[in-house]
Amino acid sequence: MNDSATLPLPAVQRLKAGSLEAWLPTAMLAIAGAALPLLGDSYLGVIATRAAIYWVLVSGLNLVVGFAGQIAIGWVALLTLGAYVTSVLCAGTVMPELSAYLALLIAGLVGAIFGLIIGLPALRLRTFYFAMTTLGFATIVTQVALAWKSVTGGGVGVPGPVLPWPFASPWGFYYFCLGLALLCTWMTTNIAASRFGRSLVALRDAEVAAEAVGISKPALLVTVFLFSGALAAIAGGLFASLQSYITPDAFTFDLSVLFFIAILIGGRGSILGPLLGTIILTALPEFAAPLVAWSTFLYAVLLLVIVLAVPGGIADMLDFKNRRPLERHREIRPRPELLAHIIPPSAQESLLKLENLSLSFGGVRAIDAVHLTLRTGEVHGLIGPNGSGKTTTLNVISGYYPPQQGQVRLNDKALAAGAAAARANQRIARTFQTPRLVGSASVLENVMIGATTAGRASFVESLLFLPRHRRDEARAQAAAMTALAAVGLDQLAFVRADRLQHSELRFVEIARALVLRPLFLLLDEPAAGLSVEEIKRLGALIVTISRQGTGVLLVEHHADLIFDICDRVTVLNLGKVLASGTPAEIRGHREVINAYLGA
Amino acid sequence: MAISRRQALIGSAASTATLASGVFRPAIAASEPIRIGYLPALTGPSSSTGIGINRGTELAVKEINDAGGINGRQIELVVRDTQSDPTKAVNAATELTRRHKVHVIWGPLNSGEALAATPLIARDGVPQLHPCWVDQLTDVKKYPLAFRNAPTNQQIGGAANHYVVNIVKAKKVAVISDTTGYGTASLNAYVPMLKTLGAEVVYEGSVESNNPDLKPELLRMQAAGAQAIMPWSVNAGFLSRIINTRAELNWDIPIVGQTTLGSGQTKALLKKPEYWEKVYPNNFRNCSYNAAGALPPRTVEFVERIRKANIEMGDTLLWWIALGYDGPRLMAEAIKAAGSGPEEIAGYWNKIKAWPGVYGSISWTPELHDGFQNEEIVMCQANSLRDGAFTLAPGYTG
Amino acid sequence: MLLSIVSYGLALGAVYALIGITYNVMFAASRVFSFTAGTVGMLGGVFGALCIDRMGMPVALGFLLTLAAGAVLGVITEVLTVRPVLKSLDQHLYVLSTLAFALMLQQLTAIEWSTEPQPFPRLLPFGPGFFDQQFWLPISACVLTIIGLEWLYRRTLVGRAFLAISEDNYAARALGLPEQRLRVASYALAGAIGTLAGFTGGEMMLAYFGNGPLLNFYGFVPVALGGMGSNRGAVAGGLALGLFQQTANFLVGGIFASVAIFVVFILVLLVRPEGFAGAAPARRV
Repeated sequence: MNDSATLPLPAVQRLKAGSLEAWLPTAMLAIAGAALPLLGDSYLGVIATRAAIYWVLVSGLNLVVGFAGQIAIGWVALLTLGAYVTSVLCAGTVMPELSAYLALLIAGLVGAIFGLIIGLPALRLRTFYFAMTTLGFATIVTQVALAWKSVTGGGVGVPGPVLPWPFASPWGFYYFCLGLALLCTWMTTNIAASRFGRSLVALRDAEVAAEAVGISKPALLVTVFLFSGALAAIAGGLFASLQSYITPDAFTFDLSVLFFIAILIGGRGSILGPLLGTIILTALPEFAAPLVAWSTFLYAVLLLVIVLAVPGGIADMLDFKNRRPLERHREIRPRPELLAHIIPPSAQESLLKLENLSLSFGGVRAIDAVHLTLRTGEVHGLIGPNGSGKTTTLNVISGYYPPQQGQVRLNDKALAAGAAAARANQRIARTFQTPRLVGSASVLENVMIGATTAGRASFVESLLFLPRHRRDEARAQAAAMTALAAVGLDQLAFVRADRLQHSELRFVEIARALVLRPLFLLLDEPAAGLSVEEIKRLGALIVTISRQGTGVLLVEHHADLIFDICDRVTVLNLGKVLASGTPAEIRGHREVINAYLGA
Repeated sequence: MAISRRQALIGSAASTATLASGVFRPAIAASEPIRIGYLPALTGPSSSTGIGINRGTELAVKEINDAGGINGRQIELVVRDTQSDPTKAVNAATELTRRHKVHVIWGPLNSGEALAATPLIARDGVPQLHPCWVDQLTDVKKYPLAFRNAPTNQQIGGAANHYVVNIVKAKKVAVISDTTGYGTASLNAYVPMLKTLGAEVVYEGSVESNNPDLKPELLRMQAAGAQAIMPWSVNAGFLSRIINTRAELNWDIPIVGQTTLGSGQTKALLKKPEYWEKVYPNNFRNCSYNAAGALPPRTVEFVERIRKANIEMGDTLLWWIALGYDGPRLMAEAIKAAGSGPEEIAGYWNKIKAWPGVYGSISWTPELHDGFQNEEIVMCQANSLRDGAFTLAPGYTG
Repeated sequence: MLLSIVSYGLALGAVYALIGITYNVMFAASRVFSFTAGTVGMLGGVFGALCIDRMGMPVALGFLLTLAAGAVLGVITEVLTVRPVLKSLDQHLYVLSTLAFALMLQQLTAIEWSTEPQPFPRLLPFGPGFFDQQFWLPISACVLTIIGLEWLYRRTLVGRAFLAISEDNYAARALGLPEQRLRVASYALAGAIGTLAGFTGGEMMLAYFGNGPLLNFYGFVPVALGGMGSNRGAVAGGLALGLFQQTANFLVGGIFASVAIFVVFILVLLVRPEGFAGAAPARRV
C-alpha cells in the first residue's frame, strides 16, 4: 500500500499533536506557573499549589468525564483513598515509614485498582445509575476512613506526608506540584490527540459507530479508569501534604462537585478548558471572602448556565476557528481516482456468505432464512419495502445482533456472532442509516477514527509521545486526508462536523469506512437526502470502490441508483428473500413489481 | 522517646521560622493597627461553639478599641469563616499569616480544623491562641508559639469520669460519640480513663450525627446494663436525640457528658422540657451558680456588661461567650506589656500565672501551654439553665 | 427491639418509596431521571418546619402550602432543567442540569435556613404512643399515594394520557395529546409527592438540608431495584430498604449499615441492571 502518496492537496497541517494549538495548555501553565513566585505572595502560592493538585486529579478525571462521557461524580473517593494511603505509609503506624515518593507511587497503584473498581459498573449500567454508584462509593470510602480507627485514626485523622528537601518548603512543594501538573497536562494532551482520545470521544457521542470501526469499549474504559484512578490517588497524597493533617471531614461532597463541574464548564473533549475551569473554581472563593459560603451555590449556577447556554463550555467559547463562516454553495466533488491509494488490490476474490439467517424481535420475525452471497469487486443491491429486514440484515452482518439461526461466513470461516467490534479487523466496514458522527470533533478527526485498529502504539506510548505514536498519527492523518479527498471533502477537513450539511455527513461516513481499507463495505441508504447530482457522483464513487476490489452491499430505496450501478440485486419482503438476480431480471420480476417497485 | 525525622523537621522548621521572622520582620510603625487573625466556624456542622465565642470576642475587641486600643493602636480583627471545613481553614490560615501578616491568631475554634491549621501556623512563626480540647493541639517542642486557654480532653473527661464513678457511683457505663475528630478523640481517650477508675465500659460506639434513629444504640446500652450514658459531641441534634430517646424508653439513668448537652440549641430540639432532667454537662466553676444560686462576682459583672451590650445569651452558653471574651484580652495584655513581636508575645504568655479570666484562671509555663486549671472544671444540671449559666450538679462538693 | 426495627424501618422505607415514586413519575413523563427528587423531599421537611414552626401557621395550611411549593418546584425543574435539554442531541445533559439545580436548592437551603438539623413540629395533637404518628404518617401517605396513582393511571383520562406520552411519545403527539402540558403536570405531581414524603417524614429526619443527598440516594435505590418506572416495585424496594437498613443499623451499627446497603445495591444492579420488575433495554441500533 502506498503510504506516502504524493497528492495534489492543500498544505496538510502538521500533526495536531505538534501544532501550536495542542501545546497551548502546557505552555500557558508553564509560563503562568513559573511567573507566580515572582509575585512574592506566598498565600497565592498556597492557592496555586492547591489548584495544581486539583488539576492533577481533574486531568485524569477529564478523560473519564470529558472524553468518555461517563458521569463519575463521586471521584473524591479516590482523592480520599490516595490521601490516606500516602499518609499512613509515611506515618509508619501500620508498617515501617516509607519515603514520601514511594508512598505516592504505591498510592497511585492502589488508586488505579480502585479507579477500575469504581468505574467498572459503567460498562453495565446506564448513565444515571452509574452516577449514583459513584456517589455511593464516595460515601463508603469516607465511612471506612471513619470506622477503621486503627489505621486511619478514625475521626482524629493522621498527619499528612512531608516531602524531603528541596520540596518541603512551601515554594518547593509548589514547584513539585506544578511540575506534576505540567506533566499531566502534557500527557493528557498527547492522549487527546491520539487514537485513544478520539476513540473515547467516539464512544461518548457515537457509540454504535465506534463499535463498527473496531473500538472496544471495555478495553478502553478499563485503561482510562486505571490511569485516572492513579492520578487521583497521587493528587490525594499531595493534598494530604498540603493540608499537613487529614481528617475524613476534609473530603466533602463539595470537592467532588468542584472537580466534576470544572470539567463541564471547561468543555468536554478539551484539555485547556478544564484546566482553566479548575483554576477558576479553586481561586474564585479566595478572591472574595463573603463568596466562600456561597461557592458551591455559584458553581452549581455556573454549571446550569453552561449546560443550557454553552454546552461546549469555555473550550467552545475559545473556539474561534469554528466561528469563521463556511462557503455557502459547496459542492461535493469526489475524486474516485484517489481510491487506488486507499484500497489495496487483493490477489484473490473473497466471499461473504449469508446462510439462512433468521432473527426475531419479540414476536416479530425480522428476517427469515435470508441467504445472500457478496463477492469482492461486486456491487450487490439489497432492496425491499420498509420493514422488510434490510437494516436488520446489515446489523447481523456487522455483528450488532447475533442471528437466532444461520451464520455469516467470510471465506468459509464463520464470523463471530454478536461481536460488532471484531468486524473492523476483518476489514468489514459500514455506514449507517442516520449518519453517526462526533459532532464536536472535526471532520478529519471523525475520519481518523476509522484508523483506530491500524494503530500500533500502546496507551503508554501515546501518553509519552514516543516515536511509534507519532508514526501512527502521521499514518492515520495521511490515510484520512486521502479518503476525504477521494470523497471530495478535503476542503472541510478541519471544520467541526456538526456544521456540515446532511449530504456531506453521509460522505464523511463513507470516508471513515474507507480508511479501514475494507474488503467488504456495507452502505445503509447512503443516498437518502442527497440531491440528484450528488446521487450521480455517489454512484460513480461506489462503482470505483468496487472496481478497486471491495465488495459493496448497498441497501437503498433509490431504484434508479440500484439499477444503474449494481451487478446483482436481492429483494427482501417481510423478512424473506423474495428474489435475487441481475438488475434486469429483478426489474422484470412480477412479485417484486407487486410488492415493491410498482409498474 | 526518640524524636522521629518528621518531628525534627517540623521542629527545626518552626524554630528557624521563628528566628527568621524575628530577624527579618520590619520595624512596625507605631500607629499601625494590631492585626488579630480570627478563624471561627460560623457556619457548618460545628458552628454552635463558634457562634457563641464570636459574641464574646467581638465585645472584647470593641471594648479595647473604645478605650483607646493597645498603647494607642487599634485592634483590627481579620475574620475568616472556616465553615467547619479543614480545607478552608488551611487556606484561611495561610492567607492570614502570609498575606495579612497578622500579629497573632485566635483559633481555629474547632479541633478538626485546628489539627490541620496549627502546624502551618507554627511553621510561619505566628503566635496562636486557641480553645480546642484535643490533647495533641499543644506541644511546646513542635508548636512553641501555640497556647491553649481552655481545658484539654483529658481534663474534661477526667472531671466527667470522676463524677460518674465517684459521685453517681455507676459501675457500668455507656460511652457514645459522633464521628467527628473531636468525638472520636474523646471516646478514645475517656474509655481507658474510665477503666482505670474501676468502671466497666459496657458500650462504646461512634454514630453519625445526622442518623435520625438512635434507638438501636440505646437499646443496646440498656441490654448491656448501663447505669449512665456519657455522650461526647458538640452537635445539638445528636445530643437531643439521645435525650429524647432515653425518655421514650422510659429509662431513668443520668446522662453525663459534653457541655453542649446544656446549650439553648439542644433545649430547642427536645420534645418535652422535662426530658432535660438528670442531664449533667461539663461546665466551669466560674460560670456556675453555687448552692446559694449566685455567680462569682467577676462573672456577675461580666453578665451585666453583656446585657448592656444587648448580647443574646438564651440560645448559647455563657462560658462560650466568656471564653471568646478572654481570648483577645489575653492577647491585648501581652502586646501591651511586652510588644507585638512573636517572641515577645510568647515570652509574656510563658510567664502568666493565675490570669483572672472570666471563663477561668490561666497559667502557663514554658513547659506547659495548657492554661486551664483542673479544679475549675465541674458538672452542672442542664435544666437549671438561667441566662446561659447553670447550677452545680447534685452531690458535688468538690 | 423488633418493634422498633419494624416501625422505623417501614416508616423510613415509606419515605424512600415515596421519593422513588417521585423519580418514577418524573421519568414516566420525560424518560429522564432528575436529581431534584431527593432535594424536593428535603424541602418538604424544611418548608413544613418553616410554615408551621417559624411562621406559626396551622398544620393543615402549612401542609397544603408545602405541597404547593413542591408542585411549583416540580414545574421549575421541568421548565428550567428538563425541557431545554430534551431537544438537544446530547442525551446526558439532563443529568447535569438537574444536578446543578438540585445543588443550587440545597446550598440555598443550607445558607438561608440552617446548616444544622432544625426541629420539625408535632403534626397531630396526640402524644407519643405505641405506634407513633411519626411512623404511620409516612406509611399511610405512601399507601394513599400509590392507590391514588393507580386510580389516576387506570381510571382517569388524564392518567391514561400520562401513560400514553411515556409509552410512545410520537404516537401520543400524533393523536393530539398536549405533550408539553402533560409533562409539566406530571412534574408538578411528582414535586408534590416529593414534598409529601419530606413532610410526613419530617419528625424522624428533622428539617435538615443534608437530607437532600441522603434521600437522593436512598430514594433511588428502590427505583433501581424495583425497576425504572414501576411504582409498585419502588414501594416494595423502599420498604425492603428501610427494614434492611434498620436491621443492619441494629446488628452492626450505622457505618457498616451504609456500606452493606451500598454493596447490595451495586451487586443487584450488576446482576440485573434493569431491576427486578423493569423491562430489558430496547433496541439501540
